[in-house]
Amino acid sequence: MNNILEMKQIEIEFPGVKALDKVDFSLRAGEVHSLLGENGAGKSTLIKCLTGVNKMDSGEILLDGNEIRPQDPGHAMTLGISTVFQEINLCPNLSVAENIFVGRQPMKHRQINWREINRRAEELLSGFGLEIDVTRPLSYYSTAIQQMVSIARAVDVQAKILILDEPTSSLDTGEVQLLFRVMRELKAKGMGIIFITHFLDQVYEISDRMTILRNGHLVGTYTVEELDRVSLVTMMIGKDFSGMFDMDRAEAAENSQAELEVSHIGVAGKVEDFSLTIKKGELVGFAGLLGSGRTETAEMLFGAVPSSRGSMKLEGHDVKIDSPGEALNNRMAFCPEDRKRDGIIGDLSIRENIILALQARRGFMKPLSLAEQNELADKYISLLGIATPDAEKKIGELSGGNQQKVILARWMATEPAVLILDEPTRGIDIGAKAEIQKLMLKMCADGTSVIFISSELDEIIRCSGKVVVMRDRKKVAELAGRECTQQKILEIIAGAA
Amino acid sequence: MSRIIRKLSNPMYIMIYATVGIFLAIYGAGAWAYGDRGFLTLRTFVNMFIDNAYYGISAVGMTMVLITGGIDLSVGAVASLTGMFIAYGTTILHIHPAVCIAFSLVVGVGLGLLMGWVIEYLNVPPFITTLTGMFLARGVCSLISRESINIQHSMIDSLAGWKIYFMHQVNGNWVKVKPIAFVNFNVILFLVMIVIGTFILQRTRFGRNIYAIGGNEQSARLMGLPVARTKILVYGFNGLCSVLAGLSYALYVKSGWNLSLQGAELDVITCAVIGGTLLTGGVGSMIGTLFGVLLKSIIPALITFNGHLLSWWGKIATGVLLLLFICIQGIVVSWSGRKRSA
Repeated sequence: MNNILEMKQIEIEFPGVKALDKVDFSLRAGEVHSLLGENGAGKSTLIKCLTGVNKMDSGEILLDGNEIRPQDPGHAMTLGISTVFQEINLCPNLSVAENIFVGRQPMKHRQINWREINRRAEELLSGFGLEIDVTRPLSYYSTAIQQMVSIARAVDVQAKILILDEPTSSLDTGEVQLLFRVMRELKAKGMGIIFITHFLDQVYEISDRMTILRNGHLVGTYTVEELDRVSLVTMMIGKDFSGMFDMDRAEAAENSQAELEVSHIGVAGKVEDFSLTIKKGELVGFAGLLGSGRTETAEMLFGAVPSSRGSMKLEGHDVKIDSPGEALNNRMAFCPEDRKRDGIIGDLSIRENIILALQARRGFMKPLSLAEQNELADKYISLLGIATPDAEKKIGELSGGNQQKVILARWMATEPAVLILDEPTRGIDIGAKAEIQKLMLKMCADGTSVIFISSELDEIIRCSGKVVVMRDRKKVAELAGRECTQQKILEIIAGAA
Repeated sequence: MSRIIRKLSNPMYIMIYATVGIFLAIYGAGAWAYGDRGFLTLRTFVNMFIDNAYYGISAVGMTMVLITGGIDLSVGAVASLTGMFIAYGTTILHIHPAVCIAFSLVVGVGLGLLMGWVIEYLNVPPFITTLTGMFLARGVCSLISRESINIQHSMIDSLAGWKIYFMHQVNGNWVKVKPIAFVNFNVILFLVMIVIGTFILQRTRFGRNIYAIGGNEQSARLMGLPVARTKILVYGFNGLCSVLAGLSYALYVKSGWNLSLQGAELDVITCAVIGGTLLTGGVGSMIGTLFGVLLKSIIPALITFNGHLLSWWGKIATGVLLLLFICIQGIVVSWSGRKRSA
């Protein structure tokens, strides 16, 4: 089979980081080619380069053997490269039919032919198994339907190449099958499809070949038959492992009483049927790939995305946690993944950042006195070893590792019973990582139960008393003791066990 | 039958229903209260057009600007500047008014295009850009003259005096309806602009791009629509509407004054908003704007018929209407956010 698209030696550099380093990629007519990699691997950058959003520093793109240089998505579209982005890029105020045809409406007597637009839209969507009123505004319909409409638009522009960037993240199982049926039909017509997803099952179900990227480098291109799931996941995560599971810690936790018991909680379309028991002073690690539902589970436990079913028990009492405020009142704390966006308030001082959560829990009618604030801030600065001349320095001026310590201090100050940490060690240097891990363990020893989410398996195995493995928005395994090994976890993540 | 009901229940038409419904309700209330004093006559109805045509003409362009999600505060000043060009050019410099009007068109459209360019390429918010445009145009007005100038020219007189009377048949003879009702050049221009505006918005790709930009500008770019060109042309077209509104106002008052039409931009925006145009963009129509102009003009009409109320009550009533519409818009927006599957 001949390649319709070839990308050779693509290099893109962003300030301070090489986003793509001499990456090759090729696409054949009539194939579904999955593009795989963890966050920051360079998948999106490669796609943006192909659609003209990002300009490449060097390398060339050949479409049907001719060199092209897409200037913007509109230009890429005229070249025959259509993209369906993860977030729906349509206009909610226009009708369904118009969203498919805007910019290329059929004309009659130099006027827009609305009848033709509506007729063709109905025809196109019924081919996708959708029988809807195409004259209603797009915002009237569900996300899944909107996603289908954007695919219909992408397909109808006579594209040679269709890029689907995480199209399934908001679809349920039936809708995914519908999408796959459409993809197979397009494939049979000779279209080349680039498919990006976090769901490995879907990769193996629909793709012919896959290309794996890691940290901006090409790991390799393989057919689905060549590569089993464990090797695939190993290539994506790509770490040599060291670290042993600590048996003593697991046993210590075994003997204490249950702190948090959740059974069968879930939110439609996010996490399905999650149950877990965490003992007092236990550290539970959440392992899984990006998009496996780890963060969603944490948000659900904390009430940021309230669970619609199941029950929760805290220290043996039934609780209902519908909002983060409720969770705080029940002595839970959540340290989110995106430190810059959801964690620190850059213009406030270290002291102000530390007392934030405690003050919020006390309510603003009962302010902490300045003396109390200073005392708390000084205590945690020395306890956590935060490198700063004094507590009044702006947190934005600290290094990533120290910012993370301040956020830990913020939650430690509330003396939580359950602390949820989402990727607390991402993007900080190795020394700071080790210190954060030590702090987590110290908190556990003091009786706090910790949920620890991390993409780095060795870190999870080293710190946890119990490991929960997530895949495809489900808890698929709970491991402790001897079975808690790298190999075993990798196999479960890959879905091979 | 169910097909028609389904079509009519399309949420796209809610804002038009609201505008037309409220207009009919107020008109009905006026008819009930003052019907015996002539509120229901054709003359009263037509006068609402005659007295507000220049707002309406400007509102045609403003509606398009608002649909893109922008705003244009320069329209009153540009209209006033047009009046100054015509008055000063004709009366003081003795230039033919047609030349003055053509010159105004070049200046008005040029300023509109320039503001559109600044908004698109220099990323200056429309509010600031057009505020600057407003000060500029108003400043040039005062440079030309700080006194009111009467317009004296046969062409202007005949254009302003041109009328079509409404006639009806009595005993086989055509006679004027009593009380006398007529439409003038301004009303015809207003209605023609509404028709042109409707055609642009509903029947051309340019018009649909305007809606797409207002719906989601980022998406419009990713869909490959010519966002920059469309936005610049919209401000250019609005400049054209401002000049025509200025011409219409000059015919109405037959003079040019540097301080005329102060704050008119806000009245024009009000017309568009109570006509169902969403200030956040993406929603609006010319039919809605037509009824918006009527709604805004029916209030002073009612106060005149009442005869006791101070005219300032008109401002208060307009404010209440505007508030009401903004509330309706808020409800519609949050309501349409609710998703459903097929």
